[in-house]
Parts: sequence; structure tokens; C-alpha cells
Amino acid sequence: MAESGTTTPGGYLLVLTILLPVVGMILSFTPGGRNAERIALCSTPFGFALACAIAFHVNRAGKPIVYLVGGLPPPLGIALRADGISAVMLVAAAVIVTAAAFYARPKFATPDGVSESRSSLTFWIMLQAIWAALNIIFVGGDLFNLYVALELLTFAAVPLVCIDGRPETIAAALRYLLFALFGSISYLLGVALFYGAHGTLDISLLAQRVQATPVVWTAAALMTCGLLAKTALFPLHLWLPPAHANAPAAASAVLSGLVVKGSFFLTLRLWFYILPALPAEKVAIVLGCLGSAAIIAGSVIALRQARLKLLIAYSTVAQIGYLFLVFPLATGASSAIGWSAGLMQILAHAFAKAAMFFSAGLLAEALGHDQIAKLGGAARVLPLTFLTIALGGLSLMGLPPSGGFSAKWLMLQASVASGQWVWTLPILAGGLLAAGYVYRILTPALSDDQISLVLPPKRSQEVIALALTAIAIALGFAPQAFFDFLEIGRPVVGQP
Amino acid sequence: MTDLPSTLLVASLATPLAFLGACFVEGWRRHALALQWLAPVPSLATGLVGLIRAPLVCDLPVLDFTLRLDPPGALLLTGAALLWIVFSAAIWRDRPPDNRFGLSWLLTMTGNIGVFVAGDLVSFYLFYALVSIPAYGLFAFSDDREQKRSGAIYMAFTILGEAILLLAFAMLVTGEPLGSTRIVDAMAALPSSPWRDATLGLIVAGFGMKLGMVPFNGWMPLTYSAAPIPAAALLSGAGVKAGVIGLIRFLPLGIPMEGWGDSLVVLGFLSAFYGVAFGLTQQNPKVILAYSSISQMGVIAAVLGIALAKGEADGALDAAFYAANHLLVKAALFLAIGVLATRDAATPVLAVPLALSLAGLPFTGGALAKLATKAQFASGSVAALATLSSIGTALLMTHFLICFAVPSSRAAQECPSALVRFWPAAALGAILLPWAFYPVVGNASYAFEIGNLVDGLWPVALGMGLAFVLRRVRFAPHVPVGDSIVLEEAAFRRLLGIGPSLEKLDARLRQWPMAGISLLLIILALLTASVSGS
Repeated sequence: MAESGTTTPGGYLLVLTILLPVVGMILSFTPGGRNAERIALCSTPFGFALACAIAFHVNRAGKPIVYLVGGLPPPLGIALRADGISAVMLVAAAVIVTAAAFYARPKFATPDGVSESRSSLTFWIMLQAIWAALNIIFVGGDLFNLYVALELLTFAAVPLVCIDGRPETIAAALRYLLFALFGSISYLLGVALFYGAHGTLDISLLAQRVQATPVVWTAAALMTCGLLAKTALFPLHLWLPPAHANAPAAASAVLSGLVVKGSFFLTLRLWFYILPALPAEKVAIVLGCLGSAAIIAGSVIALRQARLKLLIAYSTVAQIGYLFLVFPLATGASSAIGWSAGLMQILAHAFAKAAMFFSAGLLAEALGHDQIAKLGGAARVLPLTFLTIALGGLSLMGLPPSGGFSAKWLMLQASVASGQWVWTLPILAGGLLAAGYVYRILTPALSDDQISLVLPPKRSQEVIALALTAIAIALGFAPQAFFDFLEIGRPVVGQP
Repeated sequence: MTDLPSTLLVASLATPLAFLGACFVEGWRRHALALQWLAPVPSLATGLVGLIRAPLVCDLPVLDFTLRLDPPGALLLTGAALLWIVFSAAIWRDRPPDNRFGLSWLLTMTGNIGVFVAGDLVSFYLFYALVSIPAYGLFAFSDDREQKRSGAIYMAFTILGEAILLLAFAMLVTGEPLGSTRIVDAMAALPSSPWRDATLGLIVAGFGMKLGMVPFNGWMPLTYSAAPIPAAALLSGAGVKAGVIGLIRFLPLGIPMEGWGDSLVVLGFLSAFYGVAFGLTQQNPKVILAYSSISQMGVIAAVLGIALAKGEADGALDAAFYAANHLLVKAALFLAIGVLATRDAATPVLAVPLALSLAGLPFTGGALAKLATKAQFASGSVAALATLSSIGTALLMTHFLICFAVPSSRAAQECPSALVRFWPAAALGAILLPWAFYPVVGNASYAFEIGNLVDGLWPVALGMGLAFVLRRVRFAPHVPVGDSIVLEEAAFRRLLGIGPSLEKLDARLRQWPMAGISLLLIILALLTASVSGS
């Protein structure tokens, strides 16, 4: 690849996008207290602007933008690279992190009269750490660097789970940490094998050198499995429901919307950027089957949950399953549609799910509980929150107009066009089951029952949640140019 | 964009959407809901213009949205818009609209207008979902167990139908070589599509659910009996026609397809007689009307089936006229139930010709509907079946009139008095308006020919006679409302058993040892797959 040789215009933005949250994180440590919140709130909008600037540059160049750290090209140096999907994910992460930061303000503001509180400081620092890790994952071009980012992501996410210190949250966090470590070891083993076999860890160099040898396959299997553990693909989801359901709403939104997408993003990098030329149809089928199992099992179990947050968490298990259908659907002849579908699913789920968790948090605070059976009449007292849940649910079910609809619509087209009929079943069944659990939330809420508020909801938080679902809905109107943008920098078989 | 057709098409959608937007502003909501009878006015104009100048086409510059109104669509749009205007204007004269009900009403209306003018697959799917799903809010938010059950069943069928259609539409798009989402392009490509038969099967199943075709008929009687009279009138009159326009749009009429055409004819007549037979076992007038809808939608499916088998594109217009007549008559008949219950209306007797109009009583709109479909039911066994279905309908409608003579107090509450006052006009309109629209289809003077008069009269007389005989015999087996739905519910409950067992499996998989084993197994599976694949 020619572009890996030099830094391209706009390449410095890639450094800035990593430096901004890292510096913010370090600065938050030093003065501490209330300053951590201020720093986080100030830096997130800048991060959004940076992400937009990167997207602009990628779009204008029509090819990935690159920055060579220290001016040395790989394999000696390290390259940062932003292609279409990186840019889109950077923007999505910036939006959701910004939303989470502003949403979390009332809960994690340092209380008056105290100079510093443990939970507030942890939250603001870890939020920025997650953001830094995600940005490295999205622009990183070196597998070992990506490993470090992956670790940072896990270690930043775990404290968010147990931030309120209740025993069950600590248990959930430990579960998450331990299982993620298994994943890390597996990933690292794979990286070591790659390095041993090919002497480089740079993604585009590896892509030129890999061949279908047993070492490469072993490395790929180990790395994939590690990433699956961190993405919580069924049946490796043991940590996700307790962790996502017990974390505070702002954290759950980031965990469900973004953190699991980080490791999934690396799975995409591995199979579509390093190994696209190798015959991997059967691997794709294995991943597709796991994804289908996740869709069905996750949705059915979601249907049976008594607590709203657990329901939403299991819905994440199901929606992660959809992501893995991209492997069978985006290999082969009609790969572009499958690719668009997969990315659309990442984005639609990220925004819709973050908004759902925000709403669940609002609802739990306003009603004092999140038992679905006791939601009777809640929509009348919390109209905006339920509007958000309904619109987010629309996207999860895959009804138009929404990003979720576009994703399913494209996935179905890709399955039909490539003759892989079998995937239409989980795609449609997942939609039906999602309709079932959304129905379970909305019908009691819209009924005639009377319910009283423990605490009136904060309008600003409701608006933030609604804005995120509005994005999930707006994704349904994405023009063709957006899908063309996602193709920038994707290696396509037969076109080196 | 500036010509008349585009303006009209855009306005007919933009107006209800504007009302919808206004509902999100606190101060405007009440007015927007109360004045929503104005929202379908542009659609009425569009429908009328469309009848003269069809097809109207408008390509919106954004996102490949296309609006298109052909003569069948214009006919149905005119009828539907008229119905929405009348009912929306009357329903909130006495008391202010309830937000939840009003909003569901407005959403359903928007979807209803949209399905007739949508010109591309995605927007059709959107409006089809809009006319189906929010309708839940018109009847199911209640503490009443039976109403909740009806709502859940309605929703289940609706969502299942949506899923089936989504796959069908995905196949249509994939079958179109250029990937165009316009309905016209996709339908032109369908006959040569490699997935033709699968697509057609899904289309018939998906829209068949909306039409209450056997065996997907169970939800319809439950829904209409649970819905308050104005909602039932709208859903059975205008809402169901989304399924009719769906079949009209998505069957490749004009290219002979005997296999599919004949199956649709069989399915259609099966529903037509099934509806009559099971309707006769019911006593609740609303339920009887629902079964009559099942039967009438079956006739429409049969008309379209014959057109499909013969490759006659004109069949679409004939079926649309039949549907438009049903649209007006069925809504007026639901109104009649409320009118009789309040007892202060002058002329409940108008319900008699109205009800028999469905069977094709001479001088009513039904006679014209029969005339319109005469080309399809011209000869042979289908002609006999069509006559038999007229007799059946007359029988069922006489049964309705007998049961309807015993008014219920609940019906009186459901029907606002403004609507009751409007009854004579509504009934006369439903009987006579089809005469005004018939010139679009053919020459109405044939309806006065002596042969046609006799042909129209004797099945009605025979059916009425049979109804009285049946009454004498007192043959009334007990069949639950929605007949086969009871079996489907039982099957569904058995399916629910998967839930606990999956939950147990989940609990086991989420234990550490199992998770470790899964991890190893997945590595092995990936390895095996990759090594054996290369």
C-alpha cells in the first residue's frame, strides 16, 4: 500500500484525537476534584470537532489518511491510519461520550462541601480513558498498539461497572475483568504468532504478507476468540448482563453502545483488513452461526426479564449477534451491501442502545425502580422518556424509518443476493422477538393505570437521550454517499 | 416539482405530517388533534384529480422517494380520505380528544393515505407499518382482558406480516438488476427474477394477513369487536384496504401467471365462504361484520387471482372499485350499529339496503361492484362460485340485520352523537357514491339492464330466504370469536415453553467452567473451519 509510506495531509489530526482524551485524563488526575468534570466536559466537544475534521479529510482525499509516528514508516515505526469506518466510528464515539458526559453531570458532580469524591473522580477519568482507548482502536495500525488500547479499554470499563461500590456490582465487575483477561491472553498469543511468522504487526504490511498457513490460522483463531470474549458474543456473554445492568446509566450507555463495539471493530480489522485475501468462508459461517444463536437466545431471554435494565442488556447480547452476520454477508460477490449493513448495525445499535440506557436510568430515578411489571401508566408521567424508548425500540425492531431498519433491510438484501438464505431467518426472527420485548415495555407504560413520580426527571437528561435516538432514526435516511464513505480504504478481494 | 400532480401528492402527505409535528408542541396539540379532519382534505383532492388524470407521479429529490398514484390507488384514496374526514370531524365534536387515542388516529390516517401514494418500496413499507401498528392504540389500551388479548393478537399478526413483507421487498430489490427501489421497476423485473416464486409467496402471505385471509383470519373478528365503533369503521373500511392496494401493487398483473393466479383464486374463495360460514355462528353484530370483511376480502383476492392468471392488468381497477365500495359500506354498517343503539336516529331502516349492497342488491353501489368484477367472473366455475358467494353474503348480512336489531348499551357509548346525526347522509352516501365513481371503471347504465337486475336480485332474495330458514332451524353451533385463533394461541403458548428452557441454558452457559469450555470450543471451531476451508 503506497499510502503507508508517508504522512498525509490532516494526519496530525489522528495524533490530536488520541492526545486530547489522554491529556484530559492525566490533567484530571493532577488537580482532581471538580476540575476533572470540567476538563471532561470541555474536551468532549473538541473531540467531536476533531472527529468531524478527520471525517472531512478522509472524505476529501477519498483514501485513508495516515500519520507516521516519529516519521518512521512501518515495520520500524508505527502508523496511525483513519479510513472510512474509522472516521465514522470516531464521530460516533465522540457523540456518545459527549452525550454521556453531559447526561452524567447531575449524578457525578462533586457534591457541595466536598473537595473531591471517589465516584465522581473515577467516573470522569474513566470516561476519558475509555474514549482514549476507543480512539486508539479506531485509528491504530499496529496490532500490539491495539492490544494496549484493548487493555486500556477493559481496565477503564471495569471501574465504571462497580463505581457505586455495591457488592453485586463489584462481583459483576470482577467477572467482567477476569473474563476479559482470558480474552486478552488469547488475543496476545495470536499477536505473538503473527509477529513470529511475519516479523511485523502493521496491519497493511501483514495484509500483504499473510498466507494460508497453519500459523496464521492459529493466530487468527486465537485473536478472534479473544475479541469475541471481549465483545460478549453468545455463549461468551457471561459478564455482560450483570455488568451492563448494574452500572450507572451513563456508564451502561457507553459500555453497551461503544465498548463492545471496540473489540468488534478489531475483529473486523482482522478479517477484512489483514486476512481478506484468504479463503475464510467457513470461518465466516461459524461466526454467523454464533451470531444467529446470540440473536435468538439473547432476544428470548430479554423477553423474560423482570427488570428493564436487564432486558436492555440482553437486547445488547442479541444485537451483538447481528453484528457477526457481517462476516458471511460481506465476503463474496455482493460484499458491499453486507458491509454497509454491518456498519449501519453498529451505528444504529450504538445510538439507540445508549439512548435506551439513558432512558432506563431516568426512569429508574423518577419511579424509584425499574420493574417492568410496575410501569403501568408511566408514559403519561414521563412522556419524553417513553418517546425515546419507543423510537429506540423502533430501531431495534427494524421498523422504518430508522438505522435499525436500514441495517436489516441491507442484511436481507445481502443474504438474498449471495444466496445465503439461511441468515434471513435469524434476521427476521430477531426483529419479531425485539418487537416482543419492546411491546412488553410500552404496553403497560401506555395503559390507563395511575403511577406517581418519586422524583421529577431532569429535562436536560431527557433531551440528551432523545437526541441520541433522533440520530438512530436519522441514520435511516443515510444517503448512498454515506455508504460509499464507509468503503474508503477497505481492501476488496481481487483489487489490491 | 412545481406542477399540479407533484404539489397534490406532496401536499397529501405533508398535511398529515404537519399535524403530526404540531402534536409535539404542547400548546398546539389539542388543536391539531381536534382539527385533524382537515389533514386528509388534500388527499381527497389528490384522489379526485387522480381519477381523471392518473397516473400522477412525483420524484422527490431526496433519498429516492417516489410518490405515484394510479387509477386503482386514486379510487381507494378518494374513498379513504372521505371516510377519515367524516369520522375525524364527527368524533370530537362533543368531547376533546384523548391524546393517546388522537395520536394513534392521526398516525393511522397518515399511514393510510401514504400506502396509496407511495411509489417506492421503502416508503410503502413505512406507510404500511404506519397504518398497521399505531392502530393498536385505537382499541387496545384498556384494562379489559379481552381487549388486551385482542391487541396482543393484532400486534402479533401485524408484526409477523411486516417481517414477511420485509423479506419479500428485499427480494424485489435484489431481483431488480439496477437495484431500483421504485415499485414500478421492481415489478417489471419480477417475472424474470430468480426468486420470483418465493417473492410472490411471501407477498401473498404478507398481505393475506392484513386481509384476514384463511388461515390468518383470527385477529380480525377479535380486533373489530374490541375496537370502539368509529375505530372499527375506519379499520375495516379504510385500514384493511392497505392490504388490497398491496396485492394490487405487488402482484405482477399483466403477465399471465396461471399457477399463482389459480392458487389465489382458490385461497380467495376459501376465505369468502369461510367468512360466511363462521360469521353465521356469531351473534355480536360487530363480529359478524368482521367475518363479512374476511369474506369480502376473499372475493377481492379471487378477482385479483383471476386477473393474474389471465394476465389482465385491468383487473386491478375492478378489484379496487369492489374494494372502494366495501370501504364505504362497511364503515357505514359499523356506524349503523351505534345508531341503532342510541335510538334517536330517524332512519335505521337504511341499514337494510346498505347491508345487502355487499351482496350486490340492484340500484346500490354493490350492484356496480358486481358489475365491475363481471369481466373476471365471466364464465365457468368461477361464475358459479361468485354467485354462490353473493348468496352467502346476502345470507350473512340478513343474519347481521337480525342480530343487529338487538342493540347493546356499549355500542351507544362508543358512538359519538355527532356521528349518529350524520347517519342518514353516511348511509345514502355509501349506497349512492359508487355511482359517481363508476365511470372510471365502465358504463353504469348496464346496471339497469333487465338481465343484470335479475342477476343481482335473485341471489339476494335466495340468501335472505335461507337466513330465515336457518333462523327457524335454530342451527347455531358455538364457535369462539376468531375461530382458529384459539388453536393458534395454544400453539403459541407451547412455543413460549422455549423461554424457561433457554433461560436455564443461559444460566448454565454463564457459569465459569462452561464459559471456559465455550472459549476453547470456539477456538477449535474457528481453527477447524479455517484449516478445512483453505
